[in-house]
Amino acid sequence: MLKIIVPIKQVPETGNVKMDPETGTMVRDGVVSIVNPLDLYSIETALMLKEKYGAVVTVLTMGPLNAVKALKEAISMGCDEGYILSDRAFAGADTWATAYVLMNAIQHIGDFDLILAGERATDGDTGQVGPNLAAGLDIPLATYVRKVNELDPEQRTITVERSVEEGIETLRLPLPCLLTVVKEISYPRLPTLRGKKRAKTVDIPVLTAEDLNLKREYLGLKGSPTRVVSTKSPKVTRNGQMRTIKEDKDVSTAVDDLINFLEERKLI
Amino acid sequence: MTKFNPITPEIVAELTQIVGAANVILDAEKLEAYSHDETPKDQFSGMPEVIVTPTSTLQVAEIMKLANARLVPVTPRGAGSGLSGGAIPLHGGILMAFEKMNKVLDVDLQNMMIEVQAGIVTNEINAIVEDDGLFFAGYPMSLESCQIGGNIAENAGGGKAIKYGVTDRYITGMEVVTPLGDILKIGGKIVKDVSGYDLKRLYIGSEGTLGIVTSATIKLTPLPKAKTDLLVLFPDVQSAIEIVPMILSKLGIVPTSIEFMDRLSVETSCKYLNEHLDYESCGSMLLIEVDGTTQEQVDSEAEMIGDLCVENKAIEVYVADNYTTQERVWAVRRNIAEAFKVYSPHQSLEDIVVPIAQIPALTEEIAKLSAEFSLSMPSYGHAGDGNLHTTLIKPPEMALEAWYELEDKVVKRLYQVVMALGGKLSGEHGIGIKRKAYYQDVVAPEELELMRTLKKALDPNNILNPGKIFDLA
Repeated sequence: MLKIIVPIKQVPETGNVKMDPETGTMVRDGVVSIVNPLDLYSIETALMLKEKYGAVVTVLTMGPLNAVKALKEAISMGCDEGYILSDRAFAGADTWATAYVLMNAIQHIGDFDLILAGERATDGDTGQVGPNLAAGLDIPLATYVRKVNELDPEQRTITVERSVEEGIETLRLPLPCLLTVVKEISYPRLPTLRGKKRAKTVDIPVLTAEDLNLKREYLGLKGSPTRVVSTKSPKVTRNGQMRTIKEDKDVSTAVDDLINFLEERKLI
Repeated sequence: MTKFNPITPEIVAELTQIVGAANVILDAEKLEAYSHDETPKDQFSGMPEVIVTPTSTLQVAEIMKLANARLVPVTPRGAGSGLSGGAIPLHGGILMAFEKMNKVLDVDLQNMMIEVQAGIVTNEINAIVEDDGLFFAGYPMSLESCQIGGNIAENAGGGKAIKYGVTDRYITGMEVVTPLGDILKIGGKIVKDVSGYDLKRLYIGSEGTLGIVTSATIKLTPLPKAKTDLLVLFPDVQSAIEIVPMILSKLGIVPTSIEFMDRLSVETSCKYLNEHLDYESCGSMLLIEVDGTTQEQVDSEAEMIGDLCVENKAIEVYVADNYTTQERVWAVRRNIAEAFKVYSPHQSLEDIVVPIAQIPALTEEIAKLSAEFSLSMPSYGHAGDGNLHTTLIKPPEMALEAWYELEDKVVKRLYQVVMALGGKLSGEHGIGIKRKAYYQDVVAPEELELMRTLKKALDPNNILNPGKIFDLA
């Protein structure tokens, strides 16, 4: 039976988020957390492979304990088991420090054949954790995978198509390997009531820094080689003008005015 | 039938005196935009002679007095998102548009009431009180474009009516201009009132024929803190429809919504949205929403409903308990009408309503009609209210003349079925002009006569929105 690992992230729901016009930052009050929308595609890919070849799909996430909700959502879609990597010492980790924890957790959980990650998370937007994890585990990597052509359990290879700037690249990788997938790969299924019921009863183990025997100096904000120094909202450089038809004018006079306005500026 | 006078330059001058030049529109291209609503334009339209956009109740009253003196018709209009032709100026004359009367007059959080002018876009009310944990619960599906004045005139309702009812449940007070130009203030910030006739209810749903509501006091409801949606797939139409009365009567749970979509509706909408729900494996779907105070309570109610569906032939029950997934499933329901318009712009969007226990019989009869006339008749809508938006879709290759003939024949038969099941022609869209001829055939003569008597008493010159719902003689 194949063993597939899907690392996921819990992110703020941004569909109906409000921005503070003063500071340009997100208003976090009352913002709910969801599974990173792009991770739904790696979950779906894992479930499709499970249906076709038979597999045990394990989801894991690093985050506060309430991130269990994201794991349960994945389990209610059809994933088999979940682990949460949670420890105060993990807080503020950058992509490298995150990959360090994930890598050790995956080795702790046991053997695996395939790791499927989303293209990037919608909050940090870096796309680095997947490749970082492959490097740390020293396994082959294919990013931006748009299609799995074939998985050969005998030869232990997987053939995939990658979206690259010039078009599509077809690669055959030996297992175990890591793929990051893009939206084109599938349409994520919805969680089922059956799945929700199962997710309620599934025990999700918590793994801490101590459980994983991690080096303190590599953890969290302190262990992160990169820092967010500042964030800025881009300035709006377009400077549109609203031309209204004056009350006493009809449409054709207004159109003439507009033509004059554009001609004066040599725009037509 | 009153013989109306045309709008003369003198009348335009008098209107200008009342509302100012900025609020009188004669430009032909602008008039066209006010000549139709969301019903098919080639079947239902009428060109106004002049548009006025009053800015106060007093101006509305003055216009009505002038219209009586000059015998010109007045058609009040909200956002033009109506589905029965109620705001179409059938006899020309003055079209009174309310977009400039869109102010919030009072937000009273202690009494949980808001007072607004008629032209405010309905969703703005919700946006204003959202941060205070409140909402106006009677809104229709078109809340992002429609105006509250139009909602009151049509007694509009939407996807949450099983639990929250429709517009009339929330209107506690209103300012009305009578057809003769008097200003009435009815009700107030009170939740009970049996002092005299309940005149509010006379105006609510009167389709702008008895008076013009210029402002309203609206009762607000605490926003539910949690909600969960179930998208349930059934093998056929009947098994989905049969579960609806069971949810309400057996489980004792009042969901916020029970929306029904037959396979053709889901498929058309999914293709339009490029959504990939597995509609191919099912014959119909129900979208059921439960809301409440805690997520635990809501989830447990949703689970009870889901289990009942599974025990009664459901193929699959999907659960959406976060915003992203909820938007995904609701988008399919919300886009059905638009998707069918893209497929064939000529159609008859129906709004039939029957007692909830009769919906299984209704859908069976619709299937028979569809087969008899070889006509595509997808159904979707508020199954929990017994209210279905069955739609007659013109086959793209059929000539228009033949279509109108067929549409008339099938609609007549459909209404006979609905009446026989104890139903009515329209649950939330109104009679307007679209259903007027059919309505006169099915309404009891005594009821029709009483309505005519009322109309004549309140509007002796028949100048307010003439030609809607029924003809006077």
